[in-house]
Amino acid sequence: MSSVLEQIEQQIAQLSTKAVRKNVGTIRTIADGVAKVDGLSDVMYNEMVQFPGDAIGIALNLEEDEVGCVILGDIAKLKEGDEVTTTGKLLSVPVGKGLLGRAVDSLGRPLDGKGPINSTEAYPVEKIAPGIVVRKPVTQALFTGIMAIDSMIPIGRGQRELIIGDRGTGKTTIAIDTIINQARINKVGLASGDPKFRPVYSIYVAIGQKNSNIVRTMSALEAAGALEFTIIVVAAAADNPANQYVAPYAGAAIGEWFMDNGMDALIVYDDLSKHAVAYRQISLILKRPSGREAYPGDVFYLHSRLLERAARLDGKGSLTALPIIETLAGDVSAYIPTNVISITDGQIFLETDLFNQGVRPAVSVGLSVSRVGSAAQIKATKQVAGKLKGELAQFRELAAFAQFGSDLDPKTKAQLDRGSRIVELFKQPALNPIPIELQVATLWAMQKGYYDELDLKRVTAAAVSLREHFSTRHDALLSKIRTKASLDAELEAGLKAACDEWKSTFAA
Amino acid sequence: MSAQSKAAEKVARLFFKLSVEGGAVSAERVAGILAYIERHRPANPLIVLRSYHRLIAAELARGRAVVEHSGAAPEALLQSIAEAMTRRYRRPVTAISRPNPALIAGLRVRVGDDVYESSIAARLSTLSTAN
Repeated sequence: MSSVLEQIEQQIAQLSTKAVRKNVGTIRTIADGVAKVDGLSDVMYNEMVQFPGDAIGIALNLEEDEVGCVILGDIAKLKEGDEVTTTGKLLSVPVGKGLLGRAVDSLGRPLDGKGPINSTEAYPVEKIAPGIVVRKPVTQALFTGIMAIDSMIPIGRGQRELIIGDRGTGKTTIAIDTIINQARINKVGLASGDPKFRPVYSIYVAIGQKNSNIVRTMSALEAAGALEFTIIVVAAAADNPANQYVAPYAGAAIGEWFMDNGMDALIVYDDLSKHAVAYRQISLILKRPSGREAYPGDVFYLHSRLLERAARLDGKGSLTALPIIETLAGDVSAYIPTNVISITDGQIFLETDLFNQGVRPAVSVGLSVSRVGSAAQIKATKQVAGKLKGELAQFRELAAFAQFGSDLDPKTKAQLDRGSRIVELFKQPALNPIPIELQVATLWAMQKGYYDELDLKRVTAAAVSLREHFSTRHDALLSKIRTKASLDAELEAGLKAACDEWKSTFAA
Repeated sequence: MSAQSKAAEKVARLFFKLSVEGGAVSAERVAGILAYIERHRPANPLIVLRSYHRLIAAELARGRAVVEHSGAAPEALLQSIAEAMTRRYRRPVTAISRPNPALIAGLRVRVGDDVYESSIAARLSTLSTAN
């Protein structure tokens, strides 16, 4: 018997002293975060490779006798002739609820000084998007809390809605408002104890942003109590382009964990213009052939494979994507904007002129569209805002003509007056999302002409006052609107009574 | 990489293919190629020769097991490593000894791009980087 034990012990000893096989190469050249490596004959495409000094690389170019690797991390200490080792692993990031409330880099390493990430699972950064069989149509609403969007360009869970506009038009604000609104809804829903309630967790991916802006965003989320439901993936402007290239895929992997585990998640890519620029830089250094605007040929695939990962899955959860694109001088026909417009399920276009006129959020109704969101819009919003988009588009057209002539017929004047009131009604301060039931009440009052007699300049104040009135005195009615999600005769009667009550107090 | 150096690499690759006979680098052919380069100097001869050198060195390394060791490496050990590697790679592999006291104890065998590590130094390095 002892000989048998000895045999097993010998086997264990043999195993424990077994040599480890590695596939290695040496750095031939290194420049701008990209290394050309000799050797690495067994390396896989997109495999993680280990450089000296804890720097990680990704094998992106497998050529006849060399491998092109982008390096994630500090490249200052790397030099020609250094040994590079394959790891046999694809790039992956930690996933799970342990990341909520944290800021991590594109490899999932903490950046916020709050200690190590509590995560036991990892997901590959690059993953094939779910196929058509496992997908479900978008039918559940995702409220942004922005009245102009929820009423006219509704977004559903699993949708990809592009936010596009020039610099400084409020693109990030819309995304942050949406994240804050999800946190607010989550808190209400979780407090209600409703077993059917599905919280939405948010992931904000900052690509090529200034660190000061990222800190400001984090502070805004923290101040609004939204950070506990949010994960922030940071690849700041000072990070090397490889980190900026990987960051959105890392964010998508983190979001996919929620989707795969039956939860709903929202991901914001802020922004994909800078992501395309980072990829262009990597591609040019890797000597890949360049095409239009010097972007490589696969720049469309770069974004399509990322955005296709947002979906609503049958029997599982959903991942909603809000990519952001920055345009130059409002040119939506540039290369990257047209690419992303064609991939997404609609776009929210923000206009500089509207922003400068004080119309904030500066949503251009004519150019904005949601291709699938209307199926996800709740009935109550449809009842009160069904015709708003058309009316507003008509108003913009008439307003343009009205500039040239003063003699207008009464019908046109009425249309212009109503349009102006709708524009005023949709003005909303930043970081102040409005619950959907209050939006319904505000728009119902609009529909029933409660603001018609007011001076135009007082419409915004009146809407704020009306919402305050409803929040403080008619909470039960708001709860009913929220739970029923459609307006019946009883609710309309309640709304009328509450609006009449408000009108007497507001006019006084 | 400029178009010139790309063309030079292409020429070097062609020379390399001509230098291989029966799956192994032929010393005679290499001598012939060098003589040809001497006579008909190609464009960018330095780049061509450097690339050619790199390709030949990589090919030779595939048939050679460099055994690094801190202690003694008897001939029988080198012989057994050569036989094992020949079986594994299904091509003739010879073993050469290279003393390396930095390994502390154990061996490090390199065949082409593959490294078989069973040294104390490598284990200590793994331990130091483990979480």
